[in-house]
Amino acid sequence: MPENPKGEAVAPATASKTRVAAPKAKRRLRASALVAATAAAVLALTACGGGGGSEAKSADGKVELRFSWWGGDKRAQLTQEAIAAFEAENPNIKIKPEYGDWSGYWDKLATQVAANDAPDIIQMDEKYITEYSSRGALLDLSKHDIDTSKLDEAALNAGKGEDGLTGIAAGINAATILANPAVFQAAGVPLPDDKTWTWEDFERIAAEVTAKSPKGTYGAAAYGTDEASLGVWLRQNGKSLYTQDGKLGFEPSDIKGYWEFLKQMSENKAVPTASEIVEAEAAPLDQSGLATGKNGMAFWWSNQLPALEKAAGGELQILRFPSKTGKAEDAGLWYKASQFWSASSRTKHPEEAAKFINFLANNVKAGEVLLADRGVYPNSEVREAIAPKLAKADVKVVDFIGAIKEELGEAPAAPPKGAGAIQEIIKRYTSEVMFNRLSAEEAGKKAVDEMKSAIS
Amino acid sequence: MSAIGELSTMTRRKGPMTKEEKKANGRDNKAAYIFLLPWLIGLLAITVGPMMMSLYLSFTDYNLLQPPEWVGLDNFVRMFGDARLHNSLGVTFTYVLVGVPLQLAVALIIALVLDKGLRGLPFYRSIFYLPSLLGGSVAVAILWKQIFGTTGLVNQVLAMVGIEGPGWISDPNTALGSIILLHVWTFGSPMIIFLAGLRQIPTMYYEAAEVDGATTLQKFWRITLPMLSPIIFFNLVLQIIGSFQSFTQAFIVSGGNGGPSDSTMFFTLYLYQKGFGQFDMGYASAMAWFLLVIIGAFTAINFIASKYWVFYDD
Repeated sequence: MPENPKGEAVAPATASKTRVAAPKAKRRLRASALVAATAAAVLALTACGGGGGSEAKSADGKVELRFSWWGGDKRAQLTQEAIAAFEAENPNIKIKPEYGDWSGYWDKLATQVAANDAPDIIQMDEKYITEYSSRGALLDLSKHDIDTSKLDEAALNAGKGEDGLTGIAAGINAATILANPAVFQAAGVPLPDDKTWTWEDFERIAAEVTAKSPKGTYGAAAYGTDEASLGVWLRQNGKSLYTQDGKLGFEPSDIKGYWEFLKQMSENKAVPTASEIVEAEAAPLDQSGLATGKNGMAFWWSNQLPALEKAAGGELQILRFPSKTGKAEDAGLWYKASQFWSASSRTKHPEEAAKFINFLANNVKAGEVLLADRGVYPNSEVREAIAPKLAKADVKVVDFIGAIKEELGEAPAAPPKGAGAIQEIIKRYTSEVMFNRLSAEEAGKKAVDEMKSAIS
Repeated sequence: MSAIGELSTMTRRKGPMTKEEKKANGRDNKAAYIFLLPWLIGLLAITVGPMMMSLYLSFTDYNLLQPPEWVGLDNFVRMFGDARLHNSLGVTFTYVLVGVPLQLAVALIIALVLDKGLRGLPFYRSIFYLPSLLGGSVAVAILWKQIFGTTGLVNQVLAMVGIEGPGWISDPNTALGSIILLHVWTFGSPMIIFLAGLRQIPTMYYEAAEVDGATTLQKFWRITLPMLSPIIFFNLVLQIIGSFQSFTQAFIVSGGNGGPSDSTMFFTLYLYQKGFGQFDMGYASAMAWFLLVIIGAFTAINFIASKYWVFYDD
């Protein structure tokens, strides 16, 4: 376009020149609008793409395996050390790590598997293991050389399904409430006795902490953003998330109370407001309310305590869930496989992948590095061998898992195919209820409908 | 039209082509195709190929892990009964129909101000253009999240005057508005185009109008707007298409879940969740084609309507 036709237009001669040039330029503009429109619209269809083949052998004849996991910095560091220990014992195998946040992990994995580019060794979660194994994406590890004789039986069974042993439990976990004693102390409220407390106690104590703390600090974080707390709630009411035959284990009326109580707690300021709950959801572990001293108590898995203590810069305390009766054995807790080690069914080196998984699960050297970051070691021998090496935070976790052993409820049914969508549904309807957009009853009906179709 | 094109038309006009001319023409074409080749391969491999694949997938049940299964029109029929999809359409339409006119209005106003011959124009132009470069980025979306958080900058300022603001992006009533605002903020690229368009309007029209005693407002309505209408149209078409496809801002601001309560669940975000989160790639592909049809329809309406309001000076 001309630099400055305006200035020139004063002279009539140049003005007419501009006039002649203008129509053509504008017609061209109309044409280019059409072209640009088409191009821009077509981009919508191809926004995603790419991919590539996995390379089996590196240049020096070594077998190269890709290993992916989710988790924070601490886990990345520990896992890299374990990899180094394995490579020292197996100089002809090279492990290439791929790690990231939980939120992006599953999108990435799904894409990789679809593109026939799955990592050889995959850290798996119980929510997704049936999804992947029932579709033939995971290797049956029982057909390979992995020693399962020393593994905790319940943990071992968690990785078994119709498609064989597709995951070896990396650790044992339990759903817990973690408390920050510093917040309680500042408020002048004593820590609760988790062997006798009820949900009413939980609400009362949390509200008291909020009342005696500076603005913006709450006695407890809200539940309702994950399925663990719903699982506990349902078990305490004689129901369960899933049934043994892979169906939803509860009705709308069972989830109604879960939300009504949450809403009541938010109104009494025992837990934060609806907006604050939504914001807290997005925060990574290091910036969570518990780690930053904004919450007195919060809902976490037991293995997350060491990482949270590190982020909080102080000690935290593990508490049992409250119950309806005030008896610890009615809390309905259970042992969960924190994560699984799985291998891709399409790996070109199943033997080497199995060897690495065997090393992670059974070798004391791996245990000495990983400690309790992925939960309590399912291998009893490793657990004993590494006991003296555990840090104070790890010991707390191990002791807690030991202490609740006699109080555990029945082992829950494995999450069925499609269970990966459940958490998102719970989250969404929690905010529908908290923002008064739906009553707890309506939300219950809609949520159950959606969950049923997700796992059907 | 390219120079080569004009030349060959000229030759053709003279009469039938001689053999040599045909040969030369063929050589030219061959050379042109060779030069086109890199682009053509790219187009086929990363645009047309995947597009055809997604068209095929839209008629299948495809869970990413197993081979796709032909289901005919099932996916399209399912869309009619999908309440979350309908909600996502509502969100997207609101975003486009509110965000685009607002953004263009702001772009035009700023362009008009800058066109008044401000000193240091290149500097201001760059400053105002900057958000356009940054607006779609992850970093700015994260920053936005901080600014509009419960304890963010906006609420801190509001608190100074005694107002307790909501959590703008965590409240379903205001979340979409915050993202629209982010879109409006990226007015830089249409502004640059408006500026160029303003400079093309011959001053003689304004001078003539002044002689006749026209007011500033009259000049704007009767000269500037009509003369600028092709540019407005161009911007409108591009921005509407772009906005229908926006994804990054909503994805980052909502933490990938279109929340709270699906209030920022754009159509594209829902498509992504279906495809990659819930292993429903067949359905997601059908959604992508549905979006193409919507965008196509909007663009067609735009072009038809343009006959009535766009003034081409020819």
